[in-house]
Amino acid sequence: MSIIKVENLQKSYGKLDVLKQISFQVERKEVVAIIGPSGSGKSTLLRSIANLETIDDGNIAIDGEYLVKNGQYAKQKDIQKILSKMGMVFQHFHLFPHLTVKDNLELAPKLVKKEGASVVERRRRELLEKVGLADRADAYPAKLSGGQKQRVAIARALMMNPDILMFDEPTSALDPELTGEVLNVMKDLAEEQMTMVVVTHEMGFAREVADRIIFMDKGEIVESGSPEEIFENPKTERTKTFLMRVQK
Amino acid sequence: MSFDYFEMIIMPMLEGAKITLLLFAIVILLSIPIGFVLTLAVRSRIKPLSWLVQGFIYVMRGTPLLLQLLFICFGLPLIPVIGEYLVLDRFVAACVGFVLNYSAYFAEIFRGGLLAIDNGQYEAAKVLGFNRWQTMTKIIIPQMIRVSLPTVSNESITLVKDTSLLYAVAVPELLHFAQTAVNRDATIVPYFVAGFIYLMITLALTWVLKRIERKYRFE
Ligand SMILES: Nc1ncnc2c1ncn2[C@@H]1O[C@H](COP(=O)(O)OP(=O)(O)O)[C@@H](O)[C@H]1O
Ligand SMILES: [Mg+2]
Repeated sequence: MSIIKVENLQKSYGKLDVLKQISFQVERKEVVAIIGPSGSGKSTLLRSIANLETIDDGNIAIDGEYLVKNGQYAKQKDIQKILSKMGMVFQHFHLFPHLTVKDNLELAPKLVKKEGASVVERRRRELLEKVGLADRADAYPAKLSGGQKQRVAIARALMMNPDILMFDEPTSALDPELTGEVLNVMKDLAEEQMTMVVVTHEMGFAREVADRIIFMDKGEIVESGSPEEIFENPKTERTKTFLMRVQK
Repeated sequence: MSFDYFEMIIMPMLEGAKITLLLFAIVILLSIPIGFVLTLAVRSRIKPLSWLVQGFIYVMRGTPLLLQLLFICFGLPLIPVIGEYLVLDRFVAACVGFVLNYSAYFAEIFRGGLLAIDNGQYEAAKVLGFNRWQTMTKIIIPQMIRVSLPTVSNESITLVKDTSLLYAVAVPELLHFAQTAVNRDATIVPYFVAGFIYLMITLALTWVLKRIERKYRFE
């Protein structure tokens, strides 16, 4: 069973159709990169799956359970359960500025999942170690670089043990020399077979790490396939034009 | 000017300062939480409630505090039929006036503080599974406090000085005793003493507020 299944997703802002009959699936352990020009609806798609946007019609199912079916949302209690399987990493991190790195990681597991302090602390240490920030546990976000903030944000999402991790342009707000440290963490996760959906402009990363690429334009999925198919043999003119532009 | 004279006037003035401080404490302790509740009411989805509270805030901020105090102390009892039940102790009446007025100001400050918080904070909280109550108490309010603190500090210093409006409704506070001494002894010394006491209060307050602000700097 696909871990994410989207069917005929329809979403508009007033007269603007932002997502037009989108359908796609993500399998467990798959890394899917979504690419496409700005304004094509990539963020809206990701945000709809995370229930940060309300869709007008279509289905979204996570691990076989419908978040939305034919435009009808599930009951609040079920929604909560479905959403707990997903983590999200934002372009602008959205760390909690009033909490230290440690508390940014620990608050949700303690408060939402009601996990014990020692379990949470152990996991927090492991994850900070994993993203290379074990020594910054007591720092406030204001004292971190952009790359460090994003690594903390990834660790914070992982603290909830999500089945799926979604990234919306995780390196777009970073200085070029800081993108590497974040991409490396994401590569490690891919190697550990984390299921990931990544909206990105980093074509090198998409090509190297993704199992599948989805190219979106003007609210539609124009083409999807393996990195070789998309980058070596794009089938449509729109894909070719886009790749030419970004790879210059 | 003898030391004895100081001693004679300073005791009643310190008594007056107690009233000043008592009013200050009551107003701060009540109007900050009430102000926050008013902010929530303004943001409420129940439109009539929001409009009502916005109207209240508009009136409280748009008219002089002195007028409001006079109205509550001397105006309310003149209302036909119900007026006789609205004769409050002067100090209580003044407290009511100050609390209403300052709640409105604090509500405006907190509203601005909430507006300054990026929508991403709500989204991050939602994605992590926090419910509305948890989001508000653990994520939003602490940040609102940080944003609002400098303005709240200024407002509290203003409140210390505004307590002297009690003079106008004849509650014997610090300034009242100073003026009594000036009238009686034909000397300006009590003014200086009163000014000095106000300064000491604002100085101590500034020190406390600085410490609170430091705690909320998050660095
Ligand atoms: N809240 C909104 N209100 C109105 N239009 C929006 C809103 N959010 C996004 N849009 C529009 O939807 C389209 C898709 O946006 P987005 O999903 O952010 O694209 P992408 O992430 O691919 O750059 C754009 O034309 C954008 O202007
Ligand atoms: Mg986007």
